[in-house]
Amino acid sequence: MNMNTPTNTQKRGSVLIVGGGIGGMQASLDLADSGFKVHIVQKESSIGGTMVMLDKTFPTGDCSMCMISPKMVEVARHPNIELHTLAQITSVDGVPGDFKVRVIQQPRFVNKDKCTGCGLCEEKCPKKTHSEFEQNLAVRKAIYSEFSQAVPNTRVIDRSICLYLTKGKCRICEKVCTANAIDFEDKGREYDLEVGAVILSPGLKRHNPWLHQELGYGRWENVVTSLQFERILSTSGPFSGEIKRPSDQKHPEKIAWLQCVGSRDPHNANPWCSSVCCMYATKQAVIAREHDSNIKPSIFYMDMRAFGKDFDKYVDRAKNEYNVAYRRSMISDVREDPETQSLIVRYTGDDGKLTYETFDMVVLSIGLEPHSDVHEFAKTFGIDLNNHGFAETSVFSPVSTSREGIYVTGTFQSPKDIPETVMQGSAVAGSAMSLLGEARGSEVVEPVLPPEKDIEGTDPRIGVIVCHCGINISQTVDVKKIAEDVKNLPGVAHSEDMMYACAQDSQAKIKKLIDEKNLNRLVVASCTPRTHAPLFQETIREAGLNKYLFELADIREQCSWCHMGENEAATKKAGDIVRMNIAKVNRLEPVTTDSVPVTPAALVIGGGIAGMTASLSLADQGFAVHLVEKDKALGGLLKQVRTTLEGAEVQDFLRTRIYDVEKHPKITVHTETVIEKSEGFVGNFNTSLSNGKQIEHGAVIVATGGEEYKPEEYYYGENRYVITQRDLELNLMEKGPEPGSSYVMIQCVGSRQEPVNYCSRICCQDAVKNAIAIKEKDPNIPVTIIYRDIRTYGLREDFYRKARDLGVLFIHYEPDRKPEVTPMGRGVSVTTYDYMMRRPVTFQADYLVLSTGLRPHPASEDIGRRFKLTRNADGFFLEAHVKLRPVDFPSEGFYVAGLAHAPKNIDETISQALSAAGRAGVLLSHDRLGVSGIISKHDRDLCMSCLACFRVCPFDSPFIDKDGKVSHNEVKCTGCGICSGICPAKAFQVNNFTDDQMIAMIDALTENIA
Amino acid sequence: MAQSVAVKTRDTENVSIEVPLERPSEWEPEILAFACHYCAFAAADLSGVMRLSYPYNVKIIRMPCTGKLDQSYVLRAFERGVDGAFVAG
Repeated sequence: MNMNTPTNTQKRGSVLIVGGGIGGMQASLDLADSGFKVHIVQKESSIGGTMVMLDKTFPTGDCSMCMISPKMVEVARHPNIELHTLAQITSVDGVPGDFKVRVIQQPRFVNKDKCTGCGLCEEKCPKKTHSEFEQNLAVRKAIYSEFSQAVPNTRVIDRSICLYLTKGKCRICEKVCTANAIDFEDKGREYDLEVGAVILSPGLKRHNPWLHQELGYGRWENVVTSLQFERILSTSGPFSGEIKRPSDQKHPEKIAWLQCVGSRDPHNANPWCSSVCCMYATKQAVIAREHDSNIKPSIFYMDMRAFGKDFDKYVDRAKNEYNVAYRRSMISDVREDPETQSLIVRYTGDDGKLTYETFDMVVLSIGLEPHSDVHEFAKTFGIDLNNHGFAETSVFSPVSTSREGIYVTGTFQSPKDIPETVMQGSAVAGSAMSLLGEARGSEVVEPVLPPEKDIEGTDPRIGVIVCHCGINISQTVDVKKIAEDVKNLPGVAHSEDMMYACAQDSQAKIKKLIDEKNLNRLVVASCTPRTHAPLFQETIREAGLNKYLFELADIREQCSWCHMGENEAATKKAGDIVRMNIAKVNRLEPVTTDSVPVTPAALVIGGGIAGMTASLSLADQGFAVHLVEKDKALGGLLKQVRTTLEGAEVQDFLRTRIYDVEKHPKITVHTETVIEKSEGFVGNFNTSLSNGKQIEHGAVIVATGGEEYKPEEYYYGENRYVITQRDLELNLMEKGPEPGSSYVMIQCVGSRQEPVNYCSRICCQDAVKNAIAIKEKDPNIPVTIIYRDIRTYGLREDFYRKARDLGVLFIHYEPDRKPEVTPMGRGVSVTTYDYMMRRPVTFQADYLVLSTGLRPHPASEDIGRRFKLTRNADGFFLEAHVKLRPVDFPSEGFYVAGLAHAPKNIDETISQALSAAGRAGVLLSHDRLGVSGIISKHDRDLCMSCLACFRVCPFDSPFIDKDGKVSHNEVKCTGCGICSGICPAKAFQVNNFTDDQMIAMIDALTENIA
Repeated sequence: MAQSVAVKTRDTENVSIEVPLERPSEWEPEILAFACHYCAFAAADLSGVMRLSYPYNVKIIRMPCTGKLDQSYVLRAFERGVDGAFVAG
């Protein structure tokens, strides 16, 4: 890895990250990949945070461990990342760019360098206690690892219960450890680190439901928390993924989820909304049904806050396909039936009457709280907290704390889900890069890889690993049988099954196997090569094999998951898939790769707040930026917004940002300009603009923004008393509310219904914001908001409560009973069905205010087509991975930010823009970029220069050389292989997809056809 | 699936032509899919993620792009006895 040469600087090229959950890990990988040394300080004995405890994630149902495990492995193996586990920071001195921090590390009593992770000590340890990781549903030993995929992969001794450390006798672990890794003399240590910036990502604490005695947690055994239920769902959990209730291990049929336990409850618990519970309850209900179709899930809730991208569609699926019953009612009381240990839940039924219903099990959807150490944190790091104990940040700089050089990410900033945490992870990385730009590369080490083994002339010796993936694969496919069946196939030298092939200990095992069995090729049968191939490729490279001597056989996504319940057929198909890949791997050859220079400049499309923020961050990192805006002026949609929900002045901020962008020496602004033509590839793009300029750049950030829906409903445009929230905001700012007038607002106009079935995310807050503005000016003006679900998620809930306190009337409606509007002489009359009073009510209002949603900008279509970037059915750009790559496009070198990706608020747009800049910064920080090995190779000896390839190649890589014959520019080649398909002489062969390999796959797949 | 049968025509006798075989009721076709890594293969992954089921006798070969498809692959597949080839990308 070559980094841009650092100049002399007072700043340090290293960053401290406190907390190694998914957000901290994302930040550390981005920083470490772009030339910064990273220290991760983790209080617990393993990194991973909350995400490792989750079974699956919404809305894709992806296995949480399968996603995070490769990341943890990457963090652990990264040469620029140093892990400090069982450690805490006690003081921070210095200035931004040059901090000195004091670290106190608790003793592990296990030497992690000597430990092989065999686990014998844990097996023999006589002392047991409740497992925190399993949420007290299982036990662990005094010497233990938090979970089986823990990183670092070693054990720790719990000194509060260890018999030797408490009573002075035992030491069994020491006796059984063959590696001599137990060290009872370990005293821990105290030391200093010097870093340029600090990132705080301590994660969250979960609400303790014991406080709500009426719900029976801790009293009734079958009342569990949502995190306990995650563990119950998990294959590696206490019941091995079988859904049982704790009291009698019986399979529950009726399960109730109670929402907002500890959230949205200022009197007894926390006032804020935890943002994730509606979706995780939905997910748990869906997954529970997938595990056991007899389960009848009910979710009791106040407002269904499915505000994220494609969340509403997920809830619809839960309702329609999984028969999840959603009941808008809060629970006042849970009692146990002493005979059956089932639970009697008391609530107000649809008919408005008090109802008692019995459930076999009750899950409490507990909310998120700031980490228990935050007050200590505030003192140690010298940062401010807000009144709820989250880090104080502002809408316009959502990842900066009150102290310069110290950044915050994830749930310490506010409650949020995984993709937003990952997004902020890259955003803080980008912010740290901006601060420390010139020190990049000053403290990192080059990775040292062993030389590649020469396998020329040797026969294939293939290793085959068949993965259980917990039960993801093994509940449908007989994994052991497959590993056994392929043992004697040609070329196979070794075959075995593994629980999680992607876990860190498995990587070590694979390396050892390659060494011991002298393997020269590898097949892993597990999940999709699209996400997991790089991990295994790196592993075999570290074992001295060329990384292209590998193939992933997809038996999860393309077999076990789509043939559930058809075990025999699925096992047969999985066998075919593995055999096909073994046949291919037999014929693989090592591939040598080239590298190309990277143009250290970015093209940013769209001059709204997303594009401007990304531009500034990249420019501060030291890269040239071309910001292209098709309008006359910068500013985008934000030009129409006056204040934020929190009361910040948007136009002042916007003016400053435009000024900063325009005067930045590294940024060239092209207004009234569109893209005319663009060619090239990651690191080397060449784009012609409509203003005649030709620019070279290495990355593209797509920030094409969105626009507001112009409603056709409710007489808008016909009647002057029907206005939008934006019109109202402008009126309120300019004139204030009309004395003696009245307002009725209707939510979700043009949103959350086919054909536009998504939540626009901003409208509830717009309505609340404007309602508060009216009430604060004149409390006597009646304001009524007719809504489907009020989605003031996270800390925005404060404003919903404030609006209610100020006397704003909220009335719920369902889409099949929409409000009816009749224009009157002055104003309108609105009739809606009131579900509380169970009859229609009519309001007369001077103004009807429509909360209209957001739409993707029409320019997105052209940009998508031009750069071949896919958009979802709603027209928003599709990211590479919903959870873990929220700002990357699948095509390398392209990143997305802002409304182009999905509807979002200003702070979220800014986070995402910083994130895109961080991701692009990782790419642009490299002087050279390795070219993919999967390209077409041209054999001039076979070529007849018929020019067939020349005509079909979309990337213009074949060309007519000086001698008049065809040559091939491999740098332009993407490896699509169209040339090889059309070439009559077969002069083109794509690496790892050669004709003999493809034919071998076809032959292997068809072997069992009669 | 085809078989040769001898048919009489006006001019010549016993000309051999191919007619489709009768399809037994329990017969299941073997289908080979050639899928582009970036779209159709990704879509097949997505169908797994969404737990959408399809017949297990569809097997997928990953291609860097369907443009890579050589007609010889399809011919080979039929020669080896598959009943249908699905090219998706």
